[in-house]
Amino acid sequence: MSILRTATGVFALTFGIVCTAAEPTLEEKLQILQQEIDNIKAQLAKSPPQQPTQPANAPAAGANAGATPTVSNTTVGGYGEFTYNKYRNTDVNNNQADLRRFVLFFGHRFNDSIRFYSELEFEHAVVSSGDRGEAELEQAFIDYRINDAANFKAGLFLIPLGILNETHEPPTYYGVERNFVETRIIPSTWREGGLQLYGEFAQGLKYNIGVSTGFDSGKFDDPAFAIRSAHQELQLANANDLSVHGALNYRVPGILAGAGVFTGNTGQNGASNAALKGVSGRLTLWDVHAKYFRGNWDLQALYARGTLGDAAQITNALIASSGNPNLVAPKVFDGWYTQAAYHLWKKGDMSLTPFIRYERFNTQQEVAEGFTADPLNNERVITAGMTFRLHPQVVLKADYQKFRTDSTKDRFNLGLGYMF
Amino acid sequence: MPKLSDWVLISFLTLSAHAVALEQIYQDPEVFISDAFGTRPQPKVLWLTSPAQAEIARILGHPPTQLRQRYWADGIKSVWILEEIGKEEPITAGFVIANGRIDHARVLVYRESRGSEVRYPSFLRQFKDATLTSDAQLSRAIDGISGATLSVSALERLARVALYLDRLSRRQ
Repeated sequence: MSILRTATGVFALTFGIVCTAAEPTLEEKLQILQQEIDNIKAQLAKSPPQQPTQPANAPAAGANAGATPTVSNTTVGGYGEFTYNKYRNTDVNNNQADLRRFVLFFGHRFNDSIRFYSELEFEHAVVSSGDRGEAELEQAFIDYRINDAANFKAGLFLIPLGILNETHEPPTYYGVERNFVETRIIPSTWREGGLQLYGEFAQGLKYNIGVSTGFDSGKFDDPAFAIRSAHQELQLANANDLSVHGALNYRVPGILAGAGVFTGNTGQNGASNAALKGVSGRLTLWDVHAKYFRGNWDLQALYARGTLGDAAQITNALIASSGNPNLVAPKVFDGWYTQAAYHLWKKGDMSLTPFIRYERFNTQQEVAEGFTADPLNNERVITAGMTFRLHPQVVLKADYQKFRTDSTKDRFNLGLGYMF
Repeated sequence: MPKLSDWVLISFLTLSAHAVALEQIYQDPEVFISDAFGTRPQPKVLWLTSPAQAEIARILGHPPTQLRQRYWADGIKSVWILEEIGKEEPITAGFVIANGRIDHARVLVYRESRGSEVRYPSFLRQFKDATLTSDAQLSRAIDGISGATLSVSALERLARVALYLDRLSRRQ
């Protein structure tokens, strides 16, 4: 270690000759050098001898970066949220407190072009056969970066529809609960296994186009969530029918405008319901969305619509296999919302932002002839509340939700969310 | 007759066969420095004393890991090349400060998977003429970019650090 001290001392003396800024005292310099030596020691103790601590494309040596934390080729991040729902009508609904999500990101850089990303999620705190918690991989893909215009990802990735699906960390959206349109019409967090090409056409204009697994209408089991219950999440996904998707988004400071579409057959050659063999059941789901956030205002709107072909054959097959006459697949489902938020108060990293959102959605807008839609699936919800940011990445949320069709769901929500 | 999904798959495979890996380096830091001054002045070094480390830690949310900051200065102008992690990877940005105001900023190297829109001039122009307030905030609001929250936040922090370091270099 004395060699290290000597070398550092020589370096400091040499360096001092070329330094022309006004100097701190000698004692301060020695303290700083001692701190640097301690940092180097700690770094050496933590890292294997041949493990690089900077990315391969770090800036040129002349660009000394004094504020940079040590970076490994393997990275960890995460987000999570705690929620409390208090219903007005506790005869029908149970008040609940929940560790809704605990998510860890793991990434690894193989080289400047090839990286791995993953998102491992635990829901409801406990995962066991006797509990309702879930452990799931929401993303696990290899990203192959070529240039700004064309890049690839392959594996399990998020489908680029709507605003929430790809950006769903709690500090990035308003409301304790995610909006209904982007959970029931667009089934966020929606991921598929496949291959995607993405990049930019021009400054701010981003595209995604891909081929992936799709839905299996034989797995449909909840009309209140439209096509959501037929998603496969790359869990032994039936892949007799693949789907394609595309999205175009214009992102510049303060503005987002975009649209996306996903389409593919869902019959899956009758893999999960033999009565669907030979049935196409084409699903097409699309959306348009916009966001304006300049100054203190944050405005957002979205419309999404899905159509399912062969809805009569699918419904007949589902009722025959389940014996449930209410298992009616939608022929059309859609919804929209509009939202306004205003940054009322800011101090340093903290801010207080009230918001209001109105959304309308119908998970059975149309059903096949001869079947009846459940009127409770046609809902309008007003959500009003506020977000208090303790830090840009830590939020406290409170809101009230008023359901116009089924008022027994009216509730007060509290949430605590974070991301890093 | 191949289906649409088959055509997309075939197109991907064809494109990937022609793929050439490139780094996301938008400008060499050395070039950024030379452009700022016309020529490349000798680098100077700012020693980060304990109070300076504490202030930078307050801005960044973590202490600086290097305690001597290299910079370039000539008269009223100074240039700072800084790095900060947005979500997972460091973003390298250059700041030119003149008379205590940001003259211009540029993202030099971007390594994050999402949020590269922070490199657009339309975003970086917002930093022009920003100064540091008494509580170490930027004097003007910066509009964010949807889906790039953490990268925007990192650039804002770096801009504050650059202004603070410029102020510090002139005080000593």
